[in-house]
Amino acid sequence: MPARLDKDHELIQKAQRGDTHAFGDLYESHAPVIFRYLFAHLDSRMDAEDLTGEVFLKAWQSLPKYTERGVPFLAFLFRIARNVLVDHYRQSNRLESKSPDELDGYKEEGNSEPVELIGNQMEHQKIIRVLTTLRPDYQSVLTLRFISELSPEETAQVMKRSVGAIRVLQHRALTALRQEIEKTG
Amino acid sequence: MYIDQRIDKILEIFTPAIENGQETIDSIVEKYPQYANVLRPRLEALLWLVSAKKNLEPRTGFTSSSRQYMEQQFKSFQPRNFWQRVFSRYTPQRWVFNFTAPVIVILLLALVINSAILTARLSIPGDPLYSTKLVIEDIQLAFTFNLVDKTDLYLQFSRERTTEFVELVLEGDYELLPPAANRLETEIIASLHSINDIPLQNQTVEQPMIMELKETLTNEIFMLNMLKGTSPTTAYPGIELAIQVAQSGLMALR
Repeated sequence: MPARLDKDHELIQKAQRGDTHAFGDLYESHAPVIFRYLFAHLDSRMDAEDLTGEVFLKAWQSLPKYTERGVPFLAFLFRIARNVLVDHYRQSNRLESKSPDELDGYKEEGNSEPVELIGNQMEHQKIIRVLTTLRPDYQSVLTLRFISELSPEETAQVMKRSVGAIRVLQHRALTALRQEIEKTG
Repeated sequence: MYIDQRIDKILEIFTPAIENGQETIDSIVEKYPQYANVLRPRLEALLWLVSAKKNLEPRTGFTSSSRQYMEQQFKSFQPRNFWQRVFSRYTPQRWVFNFTAPVIVILLLALVINSAILTARLSIPGDPLYSTKLVIEDIQLAFTFNLVDKTDLYLQFSRERTTEFVELVLEGDYELLPPAANRLETEIIASLHSINDIPLQNQTVEQPMIMELKETLTNEIFMLNMLKGTSPTTAYPGIELAIQVAQSGLMALR
C-alpha cells in the first residue's frame, strides 16, 4: 500500500505540472478499479467505460485543486466517480435496472461469442439485481471494499465515515447480502 | 466489537486466498471454529462478491487501449486556474452582451420613469397620473429640510394649483372645480404657515416670498373674474369658491 501511495504521489506531482503521460500512468493503474465500481452500478459495459473516462477527465481538470492532505488519490477518484454516477442517473433516468433483452453492449464485444456474451450479461444483471436490493450504503461499502478492493481506511475516506463505522457497516452489509443471496437462490 | 474486528481481519487475510482458490469456506471455518456461526454466512457473501468481481472486470486490454485516447483528451482539456475558467466561459461577444444588456435595461427604465414623472407633472385633476403628481410633491416636501426652501416649494405648489384651476375652467371640467378650490385653499394655508415660520432674521427672504404669493393670488383673482364672464352658470359656484379662497389668502397676507 505505501509503495502504491508513493508511486501515486510522484505521478500526481508530475501530472500537476502538466505531464499527461504521468496522468496516463495513473489512469492505467486505477482505471480497472474505477471501472468495476461503476459497472457494479450500471447496466451497460459501454456506459461504464465512458464514465470511467469521464471520471479521469474530471480528475485531470480538478488536479490543480487536489492536495494530498489526508485524502489518497484513489479516494479522490472515487468521490468523483460517485458524483459522475449520480449525474448519469439524473441524465438518463435509469435508476431501474433493465431486463437482459434491453441491454446493449453486444456489438462492442465483437471478440466474444454471442452465447457467451448473453451469459455474461445475464450474470451481470443478476449481480446488479441482488446489489440493488440492498440499502445504498450497504451497496457502497460492499462495492468499494470487495469489488474495488479499497482498504477500510480508503473506504472510510470515500464514504466520509470513521473506519470503525465502515467495519460495522461492512458486517451488516455482508449479512444482508447473504440473506439476499439465499432469497434469490 | 472485538468479534467484528477479528472477523474483519480474517476476511482481509483470506480474501486473496479465496480468490485464488487456495482456501475454501470450510477450510477457513475449520481454522476458527469458535466463530463458525458468524463467519460462515459472511464468507459465503464474500465468495459471492469475489465471483461477482470477475464478471465486473473490464475488457482485456481496455485500459491500455484507451490510455492513448485519454492522454489526447488530457492534452486538449488542460487544467485551468480560476481566472482562466471564468474568462473561458464566455466569448467576447457574450461579455459585450453581459455588459450592454443591463446598461440598456437601466437606461430604458430611467427613460420610462422620467417620462412618467414628466407626464405626471403636466397632469391636472381628473388625469390618471394626477395622484402621482401629488405624491411626487409630498416626497419633494418630505426631503426638503431647509425652511426657506420648503416655503419656496409651498409657493410653487400654490402657483401650480392656481394654474390647474384655470386649466380646468378652460377645459370645461366644472364638476372638478370645488375639490380643486379646496386643494388651492390647503396649499395657500400651508404657504402662509410656512412664511410665518421663517425667523425674523430672514426678513430679506420673507418679503419677496410674500410679494410672490400676493402676485399669484391677484393674478388668479383677475383670471377667474375674466373666465367667470365667459363660463356657463354651472361653473359659477366653483369659480366663486376659488375667488373667495384667493381673496382670503390676500387678506391674510395684508
